[in-house]
Amino acid sequence: MTASLAFPERTNVPDPVPAPAAAGRIPGSKAMWVGIFCELTEFALLFAVYFVARAHHPEAFRAGPGQLSLAAGTGYTLMLLTSGWCVARALHSMRAARKAACLRWLLAGFVFGLGYPLIKVLELRWNFAHGLDGSGGVFIITYYYLSFTHLVHVFWGLLGMLWVMARTAGGAYTVAEHAGLEAFACYWHATDILWLMIFPLFYVLR
Amino acid sequence: MSGTRKLDLVWLLLVLLSVAGAGLGGRADAGFGVTVVVALVMGIKVRLVCDHFLELGSAHRRIRLAVYGFGYGMPLLVILTSAFGDTLARLTGALIA
Repeated sequence: MTASLAFPERTNVPDPVPAPAAAGRIPGSKAMWVGIFCELTEFALLFAVYFVARAHHPEAFRAGPGQLSLAAGTGYTLMLLTSGWCVARALHSMRAARKAACLRWLLAGFVFGLGYPLIKVLELRWNFAHGLDGSGGVFIITYYYLSFTHLVHVFWGLLGMLWVMARTAGGAYTVAEHAGLEAFACYWHATDILWLMIFPLFYVLR
Repeated sequence: MSGTRKLDLVWLLLVLLSVAGAGLGGRADAGFGVTVVVALVMGIKVRLVCDHFLELGSAHRRIRLAVYGFGYGMPLLVILTSAFGDTLARLTGALIA
């Protein structure tokens, strides 16, 4: 009786047509992409400040890169790029069901990621020794404002990397389900992209 | 070419572009041409990370377009600010005053 009044089983409904490839997928998770777009918006505002300040003080921004340590700027770039590459390799390892390799790549990514704050400490000591503190003018203030904001995002990323390393070691991710790992990778690469923009603005562009 | 092999080559290319880009930083007499080259290198590096590390090629169209827009917008702004800095300063003068 009850069965005869029941709605048809969902299995009688044809499977939905798969989304076309052009529609794409959401890598990681929607929540992470909300966070990434908040991050990009925040930096878009900071970059706007940079361009306006540069337009008003062209001489200060032309001379600015010569004051900073190009070696430090290049060092940050290489550390972040290499860390991002390790994280990308970790994701590939997980997809290939090589969990131990995934963990090793994440560990390598973390070590290279730690190079960023380490270089920051060395650079700050170098900066202060050369009188580049908060009174260093509009270029230096803009530089500290943008680079420290980016440093905070790198710290979040390093904490996130510790988390996904622990989850990977605990067997939380599988070949079929590793959205958390992918979401972290998206954040880390987005933070990397931001640095690829900051680096030439402050260390290269005259 | 395997996916991992491609990742390795992209990483190597990014490192080479970064070192080459840093080499431009030593030029104190850099003009508009160097600014364009720096902006192009920035755009290429961002695109490489987007496509191969972030895997935006298979991502949802809106995500892909938004991130590409950001990635291409920055180099464009670098060039525009260099070419029309005076105009930008005039337009934003009220903000600074």
